[in-house]
Amino acid sequence: MIHLPSIIKIALRALRVNKMRSALTMLGIIIGVAAVITMLAVGKGASDKISDQIATVGSNLIIVVPGSTTAGGVRMGSGSFQSLTRGDADAISSESSVMLAAPVISGASQVVYGNANWATSVVGTTHDMLGVRDWTLASGRNFYEQEIRSAAKVCLLGQTVADNLFGNANPLDQTIRIRKVPFTVVGVLGSKGQSMMGQDQDDIIYVPVTAAERNLFGRRIPGSVHYIMVKAVNTEELSRAEEQIRQLLRQRHRIGPDQDDDFTVRNLTQMLQLTEQASRVMSLLLAAIAGVSLLVGGIGIMNIMLVSVTERTREIGIRMAVGAKTWDIRTQFIIEALILSMIGGLIGILLGVGFAEILSHFTGWTILISPFSIAMSFGFSALIGIFFGFYPAYKASLLDPIDALRHE
Amino acid sequence: MTLIKTNQLEKKYDVGDTIVHALDRVSVRIDAGEFVAVMGPSGSGKSTFMNVIGCLDKSTAGLYLLDGIDVSRMERDELARIRNEKIGFVFQGFNLLSRTSALENVEVPLLYQRNGVSPKERKDRARQVLAMLGLEDRQHHHPNQLSGGQQQRVAIARALVNNPPLLLADEPTGNLDTKTSIEIMELFVRLNEEKHITIVLVTHEPDISAYSRRMIRFLDGQVVNDEVNRP
Ligand SMILES: Nc1ncnc2c1ncn2[C@@H]1O[C@H](COP(=O)(O)OP(=O)(O)OP(=O)(O)O)[C@@H](O)[C@H]1O
Ligand SMILES: [Mg+2]
Repeated sequence: MIHLPSIIKIALRALRVNKMRSALTMLGIIIGVAAVITMLAVGKGASDKISDQIATVGSNLIIVVPGSTTAGGVRMGSGSFQSLTRGDADAISSESSVMLAAPVISGASQVVYGNANWATSVVGTTHDMLGVRDWTLASGRNFYEQEIRSAAKVCLLGQTVADNLFGNANPLDQTIRIRKVPFTVVGVLGSKGQSMMGQDQDDIIYVPVTAAERNLFGRRIPGSVHYIMVKAVNTEELSRAEEQIRQLLRQRHRIGPDQDDDFTVRNLTQMLQLTEQASRVMSLLLAAIAGVSLLVGGIGIMNIMLVSVTERTREIGIRMAVGAKTWDIRTQFIIEALILSMIGGLIGILLGVGFAEILSHFTGWTILISPFSIAMSFGFSALIGIFFGFYPAYKASLLDPIDALRHE
Repeated sequence: MTLIKTNQLEKKYDVGDTIVHALDRVSVRIDAGEFVAVMGPSGSGKSTFMNVIGCLDKSTAGLYLLDGIDVSRMERDELARIRNEKIGFVFQGFNLLSRTSALENVEVPLLYQRNGVSPKERKDRARQVLAMLGLEDRQHHHPNQLSGGQQQRVAIARALVNNPPLLLADEPTGNLDTKTSIEIMELFVRLNEEKHITIVLVTHEPDISAYSRRMIRFLDGQVVNDEVNRP
C-alpha cells in the first residue's frame, strides 16, 4: 500500500491549487456540521435544564396571578392587579386536590448588614412556601405560623444573600435591615442554582407576607397579594386542582356566569414543557438544516471530485504508467475527499460552538457542548467524505492508462 | 538472454463498420542489452506496439513473454506492478506532473513500489538519478521552469529510478530541436552501453535511428523489415 503521509501531501497540494474551489466545496459540510453542533448543544442544554428546572422550582406547581388571560394575552379588569388576597390562598389550600398554597408579595430591596449591603428580591410569603417549592433549609428554621399571623420581623436568607452579607460568618439570629427595617435571620436556605432564564434562584429573602405588607411594600387593598403559588397533591391531580381553584375563586370573587375570570391559573410544569417544546422545535429545524446541508455538502464534494478526476485524467494516466494500482489511485482521491470533508467538519465544529455560545448569550438558553457531539460530527463529516468521495475515486481508478495519458 | 518475445501478437480495434488491425501477427524477439529503433509511417502501429510491450495496453490475440513471463493475460494490477518494476517509459510529450518539482516527479514510481520505500530513501535515489543525468541543480524546478531537453531528462530519470531492465521511448525527441535531440540520444547510448539497459525507441527520423544497432520497420500493423544497423 502506498505511503500515507505522501498521499496526504499529494492531496493537500491538489486542494491548494484550487483554494477557492476547495473552500466553497467545504461550505455545505461547514454549515451542516455547525448546525448539528448547535442543535445538539441547544437541545441537550434545554432538556437537561428543563428536568433540572422541574426539580428546583418544585413539582406539580400551579401559579395563580391576578388579571384574566384571553387568547390574545393578559387583560386587566379594574383593580384586578390586587384581586388576589391572602384569604384566597387560605381557601385554596383547603381544596382536596391541593397540598399547599402560599401567597406572595415581592419587591426588589436594598438589604444591609453592618457595612455590607446587597440588592435582592424580597418575597413576603408564608411558612408553606418551602413546602411548595420543595426547598430545604441549610441551617436554622422555617417561619412559625404564629410569626406569619403577628407580622414578625424575621427572615430566611437565600445562599447568595447570606454569602454576600455575611461571608463566612453565621447569619443566624443576626439582624439585617431591609428598607431600613430590622429583620432577624432565623434560617438560611439550601442552594438551588440558576433558573432556566439564567436567574440566580438563591438571590432571595423570604419574610412573612404580613410583615412585607405592613413594613415593606404597602398595599392599596389590605390583604391583597401579587400571586399565589399552589402545589397539587400529585401530578394526576394537577388539572383537577386547576379547575377547583378556578371554581373557588370565581365564587369568592363573585364573578357572574357570563363574566370573565379576574385571575389566571397557570400550570408551571406546563409552562416549562412549552419552553421545552420551543427548544425542541428549534432543534428539529436545525436538524433539518443540518441534514440538508450535509447532503448538499456531500454531493458538492462528489461533484468537485468528479471535476477534479476529469481535470487530472492525464496525471492519473502518468501515475498508472509508472505503476499505480487500482487502490493507489482510489485511495488518493478518497483521501482528498476525506481531507475536504474533515477540514470542513473542523471549521463547522468551531463555528457551531461559537454560534451556540452566541445563541445562549442572547436568549439565555443553557447550552451543553458534549465531547461526544464533537466527536460524532467530526466522524460524520469524515464518513461523508468517504461515502461521496468513493464514486469519483472509483471512476478514476478504472480509467484506461492509454486513454488517460492521451487526455488533453 | 531474451527479454521480449512476442508470437503472432494482434491488436484489433472495432471502429463501427471496419476493424483496424493496429498490430497484425507481430512476432519479434529482443534480447537483453539491445538498442532497437522502431520505424514506420504514421498509423503503422508503432505506438500500439510500444504500449503493448510496455504493458500499458493489452493485445487482443497472440502471446507476449516479458523476461520469460507471460504477461498477455495478466490483470490490471499485475500489469501495474510489471510497469513499476521492469519498464521505464519515456513519452514524446514528457508527461511530467505539473506543479511538482523535478525531484518529486522522479520519486513517483518509488511511491508505488510493492515493498514501500521510505521518504528519505526515495529522495536519495531520485537525487542520484537526477545527478547522473546532470540535473542536480534543477531538482526543485517545476516542469514549466525547465527547457524541453531538461524536462525529457527528468522524464528519463523517472523511467530509470526503479532500475528497470527495459526502457521504452515513443518518439522521445519528437518535441526537441536537433541539438537537444543529439544530447538525449547520446544519453540513451550511454545508458545502453554502460548500464546495459535494453532500449526500444520509436522515431521517424533516420538520423535518430542511426544511434541504434537494430531497426524494426512497421507497415499497416505488420513487421516488414528487421535488420541490424551497420555502424
Ligand atoms: N483507440 C483506438 N481506436 C481505434 N483505432 C485506433 C486506436 N488507437 C490507435 N488506433 C489505430 O491503430 C493504428 C495504429 O496506431 P498507432 O498509434 O500505433 O500508430 P503510430 O505508428 O504510432 O503512428 P504515429 O507515427 O502517427 O504515432 C492507426 O491506424 C490508428 O488509427
Ligand atoms: Mg505513435
